[in-house]
Formats: sequence, structure tokens, C-alpha cells
Amino acid sequence: MRTNPVNATLLDATLPLARSAGERALEHFLASGFKRIEPAILHPASIFLDMSGEAIRGRLFLTADSSGEELCLRPEYTIPVCRAYLASDKAGAVAEYSYLGPVFRAQAEGAGERAQTGLESFGRKDAEAADAEVFSLAMEAAAAAAGKLAARLGDAGLFDALLSALALPEVWRRRLKRGLAEGRDLAAILDGRSQSALAQPGVLAALESADHDGARALVEDLLAIAGIDAVGGRTASEIADRFLEQAALRSGDSIGIEKRKILESYLAVSGDLDVAAQTLRGLAGAAGLDLGAALDAFELRNGFIAARGVAIEETRFSAAFVRDFDYYTGFVFEAREPSRPDARPALAGGRYDGLARKLGAKADIPAVGAAITLDRLPGARR
Amino acid sequence: MTVDAAAEPPFVLAVPSKGRLQENASAFFARAGLELTQGRGARDYRGAVAGLPNVEVAFLSASEIVGQLAAGAAHFGVTGEDLVREKVSDANQRLELIAPLGFGRADVVVAAPQAWIDVRTMADLEDVASVYRARRGERMRVATKYVNLTRRYFAEHGVGDYRIVESLGATEGAPAAGAAELIVDITTTGATLAANALKPLDDGPILRSQAMLVASLAAPWGPVQRKCARIILDRIAASEEARKSREVRARLRGPANGLFAEVRQRFGALPAFGEEPDPRGFVALHCAKATAADLAGFLLAHGAERVSVVALEHVFDARNPLYEALERRIGAG
Repeated sequence: MRTNPVNATLLDATLPLARSAGERALEHFLASGFKRIEPAILHPASIFLDMSGEAIRGRLFLTADSSGEELCLRPEYTIPVCRAYLASDKAGAVAEYSYLGPVFRAQAEGAGERAQTGLESFGRKDAEAADAEVFSLAMEAAAAAAGKLAARLGDAGLFDALLSALALPEVWRRRLKRGLAEGRDLAAILDGRSQSALAQPGVLAALESADHDGARALVEDLLAIAGIDAVGGRTASEIADRFLEQAALRSGDSIGIEKRKILESYLAVSGDLDVAAQTLRGLAGAAGLDLGAALDAFELRNGFIAARGVAIEETRFSAAFVRDFDYYTGFVFEAREPSRPDARPALAGGRYDGLARKLGAKADIPAVGAAITLDRLPGARR
Repeated sequence: MTVDAAAEPPFVLAVPSKGRLQENASAFFARAGLELTQGRGARDYRGAVAGLPNVEVAFLSASEIVGQLAAGAAHFGVTGEDLVREKVSDANQRLELIAPLGFGRADVVVAAPQAWIDVRTMADLEDVASVYRARRGERMRVATKYVNLTRRYFAEHGVGDYRIVESLGATEGAPAAGAAELIVDITTTGATLAANALKPLDDGPILRSQAMLVASLAAPWGPVQRKCARIILDRIAASEEARKSREVRARLRGPANGLFAEVRQRFGALPAFGEEPDPRGFVALHCAKATAADLAGFLLAHGAERVSVVALEHVFDARNPLYEALERRIGAG
């Protein structure tokens, strides 16, 4: 395994406290069989922009190579490690890595460079055991390096299963996922900015009883009457589908009171892992919803976490805790100094089975990881 | 390195070096009695202002002017507000937008294909963008040179599922060329958008832009520079005030007791020579161009035999709100 002497010097010079904490954490990962990897610092900026959206552009340190391709300094480790894994002969097989080094994010105050350590596990089929191991190792490493953290857990897979079981229209699933990931509460998502400002009630009314083909024919007629050549990215069929969706939203009253109540109860579930599991079972039973496999996985993972000996009293489940759904596909977690519940998390991670495929792999590869931002650990404040 | 302590750096006025913006800016300064002279030949990019030896004129592109102002290398500059907002993220901290100049008007808009008959607002776009991504696994592309304005505006409207494709020319052709689905671009009449089968969204524009006189807060503001700024702003204010005003003169039958208060209230007119009524009944008032005729009628009704309404070249005032606003930002010297 290649190590980079430049990083060591740099950490020596600028972050003496973080360095020792980082090395203690890294030792813990190494001792557990996560080999150290030092991925490239420069990457095509488009990868991070595709994954996280333009919102992060302002935080990237951008540059360009001689051909004009836009490059950036890595703003985090997961994507660089995943790329290195996919480029290696291990791609697709089980491989587990740890890392320690700088990541680069422009910020209004303070240095744009900060040290992270963490671990990534690829290819393991025993997802729940891998989830529990990565989470527990990260928590143990943070405790060994600086002090105990308080963790919050969530489960994107469970929420997905609930949305499927409720048979919500696609448009509502999308809005709920996105709204929760943005930190809005249920009422704001369901009652807030309504469907859209579509000021074409005539078209919508005409579509209320139409099927897809009828809707497409209508859209094509409308375009032909207006003399518009189809131009720009979306087909008449896609526009028709959106009209149908809007028509359905217009005719129905939101998502219905029953389903809304179920969502409210689900999102209110929080607390101790065992109690949460019982509450969720009760909720699913009372509503006659089949959360089967997702709930089994949740309990299995909780069992593994308990068996690893993580301080359960510092670990809370929160059904409303989700992170970016386009990225995280299952277990998610974050942890911070117990005395600073409003601080940015010092430790964060989750399961991201879809990332490898987005980075060019032919199929999803199971993956779970965690990153510790060293200057957010207890005692690291300057 | 030797530095002559007495020689202060000049006051730098940055003006556009080409196109309609240059013509309009030159005309604007000329109206204010500030004759810009270019050095030897049209290719010289440094110039002067007749009669103001401490002022150096830098002829630059509108976008370079923004950079020079932000860096403090120019004191005043004329440039488009669109470029200021795009290129300087903390424009309000680093620059003082002194005055809109009334030319170079254009709107920065979000434009979508006309074929997207289901898209009229940013709320529609947010919805469509997320479906687009869910279906194709790719983000919708937005061609623009206004990367920062676009990012800020889309974020305000909760649109996250898009990618910016930087475009430095003929942006409106990007959708037809298949290089992007949407554009964010500048438009004056919308004709170019329509010619490219695009339509602006109804809840825009992102920004109604026009040429602005902008001051740098980062530039060195010594006594010499302040004096130059004061002179330039006095002349600009004097010509703007003159352009908008008329002087109305008449002789009444006697001293105009109580008249000033009444014309101020009814016509917004101010006495040109102070509040003291003239014993022989002479009055001279300044009022807005549009109210001059009404004011003249009022004076006739109050005993004047003839009233003249006079166009003005310059009206200097002891108080200059433009300079006062600048001084609040750079501190009193």
C-alpha cells in the first residue's frame, strides 16, 4: 500500500492535535483489517457535481488540466476511495479500506483544508453485519482518539419500504424523500408550496380521465397547434406524463388522511433501538402494512450493533433522520460530541450501494462507510 | 525601491472600452462635463479626464472592470449590474453601487424550451428536474455564463437536480444543439430566445440589470482620491439634477411671503436663491421638468405677468447624496 509522505508533513505542520487523534483512529481501523489507501487528490469535478449537485460547486477548489477538463481537490474521501477500488483488481470483490489525510472544501471562515479519517467496506453480502461493523468501528475509533460521541441512526431502506407499502404516487414519494433530506417536516412538505403554478386547468381537466396514450396525443396536438418543433431534452411522452401526474394531484386531496397519519406516526418514531423496533412493528401491524424484509434487516442490524458493544444508551434511532436519498440507500448515521447536540457531526456515514454503478461499475456493489472529521472531535476545538 | 511620499496614486476611473456600453458611458460623462480623452490613438487603453489631472481613465472590458473594482485597482467603474452580481459574491461588502445609469438595460432570465408547455415557473422546473434525474440518472443541464447567479437563484427556489454547462457565447443555441436543456442568459426583447424556440419562465427575471456607476471599497481612499470622487460625483449629480429639473422665473407684484412653503408642498419646488423673499418680487424656483408648466400657471394666478421656464445645464448642491452614500462606506477622511 502506497502512503503519501506529503500528507504526513502537512498534517504535522498544521494540525498537530488532529494528527495524533487521526492516527489513533486509523490504528483502530488497521487493526480491524481495513487496509490503508491513499487515493488521488485531484479528480474530475464533474463526478462530485453529478453526485451532489451544483450546490457544492462553491465549496470545491477547482482547477483544470491542459485539455481544459475541470478538476477539483477531493472534497471528501468516499468517492475517491470508491474510484480507486473500482480501478483496482479487487473491483466487485470484497475489499475494506481505511484512510487518513486532508480533504478540501472552501468555507467562509477558516482553512479550506481539514483532516479526515475513515473506512469504507465494499462487496460484503452480509449487509447488516457490515453496517454494524463499520458503524461500531468508527464510534470506537472516535472514542479512542478523542472521546465518546452520541450517535443518531436512520434507515433509508425502511422509509422506502414504507412508501412502497403505502402505494403512494411516484410524485409524492419523490417529494417526501427530497423534503425530508432537506430537513423539512411532513406538514411543510405536504401542505407547503402546492403542486405547481401550472395555470392550465383546462388541459388538466381534459386529462383527468385520459390514459398515457391519450395524454401524449393531446400534448402532441398542443405542440403542433402552437407550431413548436419538439426541441430540448424531454419527449412529448414525458410532458404528457407530467400533465397526468398533475391532473391526478389536482383531483385527489393530497395523499389522503389515513396515509398521512401513518407517515406522521412513522416519522415520530425515535429513541432507543429496541423500543423503536417494537414501535415500528406495532405501527406496521396496526396499519396492515408489510414492511417485512426492511424491518427484519433493521432488527438484525440492531442486534449486530448491540453485540459489538457500542454504548447503546448513547445511540438513538430517528425515523425522520435521512440523508441524501440519491446517495444513501439504507443505514445512515451521524455522531457528535454529546454536550454539543447542535454542532455539525464529527462522524457521519451510511450505506451507499448505488455509488459504484454511478461511477461506472456494471452493477450495484454493496458498500458502507464512515468518515470522521478530526477537528470536530471533542477537544479539537481551537 | 524608492517611493515619493508626496506622489499619491491616481484616482482610477474604469470605463468600458468598446461597444454600445462605451458610447453610452462616454455620453453620460460628457453630459456631466467630464470629457474622457483616450491616449494616442484608439488602441491606447489609458486616458484622462479633461481638467482633472489626478484622474486616470482605464478602458477595459465590462467584466475586467468588475475584477478591478473588487480588487481595489480602480476607484470608480461603469459596468453592468449582471456582471457585478455574478463575479463578486459579496458585492455589497466590497462595492458600493452608486447609481443606475439608465442604459445597458437587460434581464437575466431562466429560459426553457417552448415545447415544455407544462413548465411555467421555477416550481415546475423543480418538479421536472427531479423527474428528469430519476428517469435518466442524469441531471438536467443548464447552459450559462452566469454560474453564480444561476446557483444562487436555483438554490433559493429549491431546484437542486441540475448541472451547469459553462457557455461563453451563443448560449441561446445550446438547447437546440443538444448541449443543454435550459439556459440562463441575458435578454432585452426576448426575440433571440423566441428565435431559438425558448421561453423565459413567468416568475423571473433573476435580475433586471442595467449599467451602474460602481465604487470600490477596497481601493486606497486618500485625500486626493476622495477629492476626485467628490468632483466627479458633484458633476454627475449636477447634470442629473439639471436634466430632471427646470428653473421657473417670474416677478410677482410684491415680496413672495409664504409662497415658498406653498410651492414646495404643491409642486415640490425649491427656491433657487434661498428662502428670503425678494423685496421687488423676483422669484426663481427649481422644480421637476413635468411640473414646470403647472408651477408657471400657479405663478400667473398669483400676479406674475410673464413666467419663463428655463432648461438647466448643471445644478450643483452643497449636499451631494451620492458622495454622502460613498462616504458612509469608506469613512470620512
